[in-house]
Amino acid sequence: MAGYLVRRVLGMLVLLFLLTTTVFFLFNILPGDPARLTCGKACSPTIIEANRHRLGLDEPVLTQYGKFVAGIFVGRTFSPDSPEPIVCSAPCLGYSFKRGEQVLPLIMRSAPVTFYLAIGAFVIWLVVGISLGIYAALRRGRWQDRLIMTISLVGYSLPSFFIGLLLVFFVIVKWGLLPFPSYVSPFENPVQFTQTMILPWMVLAALNAAFYMRLTRNQVLETLGDDYVRTARAKGLPERTVIVHHALRAGLTPIVTAAGLDLAYLLGGAIITENIFSLPGLGALAVNSITDSDLPLIAGITLLTASLIIFANLIVDLLYAVIDPRVRLA
Amino acid sequence: MVRSDTRWLRGAAIGVVATLALSACGGSTATSAPPAATAAPGATAAPPSTAPATEAPKTGGTIYLLTNSEQFNRVDPQRAYTGEDLAFFSATWMRSLTAYTYSPDDPTASKLQPDLATDTGTPTDGAKTWAFTLRDGVSFEDGSPITCADVAYGASRTFATDVISEGPTYAIAYLDIPKNADGSSAYPGPYKATADQQALYDKAVTCSADGKTVSFHLSQPVADFNYTVTLGFSPVPKAADTGENYDKKPVSSGPYKIDSYTTGNGGKMILVRNSNWSQASDTYRQAYPDKWEVDFGIDVAVIDQRMLASTGNDQYALQYAGMQPENLATVFADPKTVLPAFAGRAVSAYDIYARYLWVNVNKVKNVKIRQAMAVALDRSALRKNAGGDFYGGYADGTIKPNIGMDYAPTNLWTTMLGKPIPDTGDPEYAKQLIAESGEAAPSLTYDYGQSPVADRGAAIIVQSLGLAGITVTPNPIERGKYYSVVFDPEKAHEFGTGGWGADWPNASTVIPPLFTQEGGWDLSQLDDAAFNAKVKAAQAETDRPTQATMWQDLNVETMENMWVIPTFFGMAQNLMGSGLATVAGPDGGLYLWGPYGSNPYGDLYVKP
Repeated sequence: MAGYLVRRVLGMLVLLFLLTTTVFFLFNILPGDPARLTCGKACSPTIIEANRHRLGLDEPVLTQYGKFVAGIFVGRTFSPDSPEPIVCSAPCLGYSFKRGEQVLPLIMRSAPVTFYLAIGAFVIWLVVGISLGIYAALRRGRWQDRLIMTISLVGYSLPSFFIGLLLVFFVIVKWGLLPFPSYVSPFENPVQFTQTMILPWMVLAALNAAFYMRLTRNQVLETLGDDYVRTARAKGLPERTVIVHHALRAGLTPIVTAAGLDLAYLLGGAIITENIFSLPGLGALAVNSITDSDLPLIAGITLLTASLIIFANLIVDLLYAVIDPRVRLA
Repeated sequence: MVRSDTRWLRGAAIGVVATLALSACGGSTATSAPPAATAAPGATAAPPSTAPATEAPKTGGTIYLLTNSEQFNRVDPQRAYTGEDLAFFSATWMRSLTAYTYSPDDPTASKLQPDLATDTGTPTDGAKTWAFTLRDGVSFEDGSPITCADVAYGASRTFATDVISEGPTYAIAYLDIPKNADGSSAYPGPYKATADQQALYDKAVTCSADGKTVSFHLSQPVADFNYTVTLGFSPVPKAADTGENYDKKPVSSGPYKIDSYTTGNGGKMILVRNSNWSQASDTYRQAYPDKWEVDFGIDVAVIDQRMLASTGNDQYALQYAGMQPENLATVFADPKTVLPAFAGRAVSAYDIYARYLWVNVNKVKNVKIRQAMAVALDRSALRKNAGGDFYGGYADGTIKPNIGMDYAPTNLWTTMLGKPIPDTGDPEYAKQLIAESGEAAPSLTYDYGQSPVADRGAAIIVQSLGLAGITVTPNPIERGKYYSVVFDPEKAHEFGTGGWGADWPNASTVIPPLFTQEGGWDLSQLDDAAFNAKVKAAQAETDRPTQATMWQDLNVETMENMWVIPTFFGMAQNLMGSGLATVAGPDGGLYLWGPYGSNPYGDLYVKP
């Protein structure tokens, strides 16, 4: 196990290095001139060149790459001609000239919002999705099963922006049950935090719970028919033990895979939900950075999101061994 | 039944109760007023307060601005270049030598007033030198007096283009400082200048011995330089200049100062009173509210809902950008008529933008062909596609009515082309013009920034010009790259979309940029020596009414030659909360302020 972990972590580091290099050069070979795109309204050729110097894009690409990598380990300085040059401490992922801030602090400020959004919705959709999926499987063919599957179909079909705007309109505007969202940290004002997050959690949970209802139902139905489940029942085990420890556990592997990847993807930012509820998370930051052609920030978010996916894959692989004793990590 | 079923249900019930309990906590303001946003247009059930302001304005309260943007584009006075931002900053913390008048009447609004200066400037030497004397008592937020040196230093920052980016560059264009061979200024700005280079600037911007009078020495006569100084000439104390970072916390010279500024969704800018500002030194601002709060990153649909409902603090709010098209019918009966439920709270008027199709005069050389393009164009269909009547009025040139005295009708669509041209186009008359040109009907390529609406617009252009025998091939270009393509003479095709907003209410910021190579936005690639000479003469004319007539004549000339095909004068529709009023607006109601096509921030107060 230890050897497996070491190999996987080393592999992750190599992958992250390749990813960093690819992202950097990809953004440098994209068509379009960042200096022109960000020079404002009065863009004469000399102004564009001055802006190019300001952005550090007038240096050879390899020099830029070297500074980018060096910045991650030892930090770097931007805007050297300014009376107050900008010092970006390590690990420096770049500087957003558009926002006037270093990329990493920008991301770290947005990350907790997305984290709380993702985790809260994740817990809700897992609990609701798995429990309703089990219930539907146990009531297979009966009205409870059909009702749950219908709900899941509706939830899966409705786009998130539609659900979100409906909730804003009815819950906030028309019925006044909640105030307009205004994000604060849960440590600063837990009540306002919860009031702000309830609806976004419900939007994300509605979409994903629908999927997990179906997935769980199918997995449980598949395993309920297996011989070892019949054996467990024949041994006189309580039904709850049969369902949870035998049927569900055996069918957990695809659920864990999906959950891990879904959570990792969501940690990269639930763009639409964050925008509708004005949550200052990674999704909103990503969208705005693309609209603004803020390349350092786009690159930073891309790296972070990709890193999360790589890390999530590792966690999922480790969980397989926990769930299924037949899996040996080698 | 399995026990887990009932446990599940019990758990769900507890969750619902907890949710209801949470919604009751924390003092939700949304429950305190009856809902209004769902009322049918014109309904009288629970409308928001729309009573016109009948009491005199009083100081006090907080005004809120709701915006979808994550931050202001730029806050640094030498980098701010967005009209709405400039309107807000000039009303609150950023004074300049001169400023505009708060009035719903556009010609009145475009009249300059002295702000930091004692008057609107004194031109000499045929408007090649302009002098402004600073008022007594003007100071920064720390109480230090604003001097000529601060004004000179502020303007000098414009030259540091490798740090101070995205701002207006009129200081570089107009001040009498030599240029390098590559066209850049010989003065690189205050951060890198050698003593000799600094001397070049110090010769172009001089201060009187008492430090009260600043004189600008220009490289050419600029008759409206007193308008130019509203843009990028605000004072900056040298000791407080942090270069790139000054954008986060500039020093105030106005009645408010920036207390905090956080960007991103959920970010805010809070402005509080500047205790070192004196009303005696500022005849321009009344500074009614005690505080301003700008809320960033709110979804545009949510902003509209909040403004329509106007409950809680939203009663004292304005939306920073216009309403969404889908909500206009709730507020307006038509582009000129506000529904009674929103009287005084809503306005539909011209913004500062004129839209047009530029025509590359080096590729479409025959004026009759250019005229045929204009005549064949179905402007009615284009407008419907863009959003209908609320999108804008039909343009008859590039100078817009709300600019003030420089506008006069060109009669382009009535008599100029020989007969009235319907909004839907006249393909038969276009064919006649093509026949008169002596050339065959051309094949043209149309450049435009790609979007679903623009794609449909391109199809309308293809179809309507096709009826006249003109073959058009659309060339969609990714929006971010549009201007880098169409400004390249090698890559630009025969015609494409354009839009322009005047930098200040003088057509010197419309005609020269759009129709002279020096102006910087000449998408038509025009370089007509005779026209250029007339433009120079207008720029140098110091008698304002005479200058206005010259601009009007030049506007007509651009239309006679059809160097661009004007399409629409853009409109905007804004809402304010029911708890706000304006001093100058009709019955205290909201109006669009002509100089920036913006909300009239300096004219707002919280209703007593």
